Amino acid sequence: MAKPIIIGAVLYDPKVSVIWDIIREFFDQNGCPCDVVFFTNYELQVKALMDGQVDIAWNSPLAWVDAQRQSKGTCRAIAMRDTDQDRVSHIITRRQGGPKTLLDLKGKALAVGAKDSPQATLIPVGLLQRAGLTPEKDFKVRRFDLLVGKHGDHIGGELEAFKCLEKGEAAACAMLDMNWERWSGDGTIDPGQFGILATTDRFDHCVFTVRKDFPKALEKKWLKVLFSMSYDNPKHREMMDMEGLKQWRPGRTTGFGPLSEAVEKQKFFKKGR
Amino acid sequence: MDELRFSARVTSRPDGQADVRVRKRSFEVGAPLTFDNAYDGITAVEQLLGSLGADLVNGLLNRAKKRRVEIDSAEATVEGELDNALMYLDVVGEKGTTAIKRISVRLYVSTFATAEAVKAVWAETLQRSPLANTLKRAVKLDISMKIAI
Repeated sequence: MAKPIIIGAVLYDPKVSVIWDIIREFFDQNGCPCDVVFFTNYELQVKALMDGQVDIAWNSPLAWVDAQRQSKGTCRAIAMRDTDQDRVSHIITRRQGGPKTLLDLKGKALAVGAKDSPQATLIPVGLLQRAGLTPEKDFKVRRFDLLVGKHGDHIGGELEAFKCLEKGEAAACAMLDMNWERWSGDGTIDPGQFGILATTDRFDHCVFTVRKDFPKALEKKWLKVLFSMSYDNPKHREMMDMEGLKQWRPGRTTGFGPLSEAVEKQKFFKKGR
Repeated sequence: MDELRFSARVTSRPDGQADVRVRKRSFEVGAPLTFDNAYDGITAVEQLLGSLGADLVNGLLNRAKKRRVEIDSAEATVEGELDNALMYLDVVGEKGTTAIKRISVRLYVSTFATAEAVKAVWAETLQRSPLANTLKRAVKLDISMKIAI
């Protein structure tokens, strides 16, 4: 049997391991054996990728930026979900009496997710910085540091940030578009009371990442199996629904601009995590 | 007197289940534990929780019969919590153990007997329960009983 390709993934909930069991079995059945190594945080996963302990890392956008930083831009983004592409985050406020422009947040508080959440903290704070506001000088950042190290994979921080807005302890909060749609649809958020003040630029989310020395032939073989997953196949659909995608797409690096800019401006890696 | 021992013979099967033979009966047990609701088997952890519940439910009814306290039925819900379930999945960087750290049992008794009589039988049941007495030395065991008419 061929040597299995080692995939790294960060796990915050044991139930997510079921998705990886299905993926592993799918790759085995298609003649491309894979083993999955789970990590408790992205920092350890990126280190394992750099050290050659994993071949392919299922990276958060921040872990991608970190991997590029550590590898001096030599990693390759090989695949992502359709739903990872062109995401945005919203700044949410009260419709009645809330700020009408980003500049109205001056002197007020913005509730955000975990300090390492690209969608609920780094990119939205970056949006305010672009508008000329400096965090902790022009506006207060109310951070909800749930499961730091997991880069906002867990939605708890975003939800706590919204609750902070709801309780009147912040003038606005940040959340991913998908969470805004879900929560304003399921009753968690009353869209009659709360609305979108501003929206970030589009950005990309998770991405399968390899080092530059990962063999191209092996990458091609692995991607061929990955891209053969079809939402029309009921057996594949179960996993794809669990993982929240309808199609795997080739990786791209054009969607990490807003995060790279935010990380740089906020000196994220320089401050220590 | 010789020590009385109870025994079970456990044999693996190719499908990942194990056959457990006790006296002239047998049952099957699956993986140690699962996070997949669709898993087709009963895990060792689930067996343990079920066994504790059965020990208490059946123990209560047996003792009630012996004490001539009429109990229609009893039902227990048993929940267990691991110290760190992620350790079972070998998650790099996690700390803790796969041990069960807490078990809670809620037992509901349907009876027209007096509360006093039921409580006396229940106290006796807990004192004599082999599994509750064993587990309380190893885990945080929280057991409660409620009478429903």
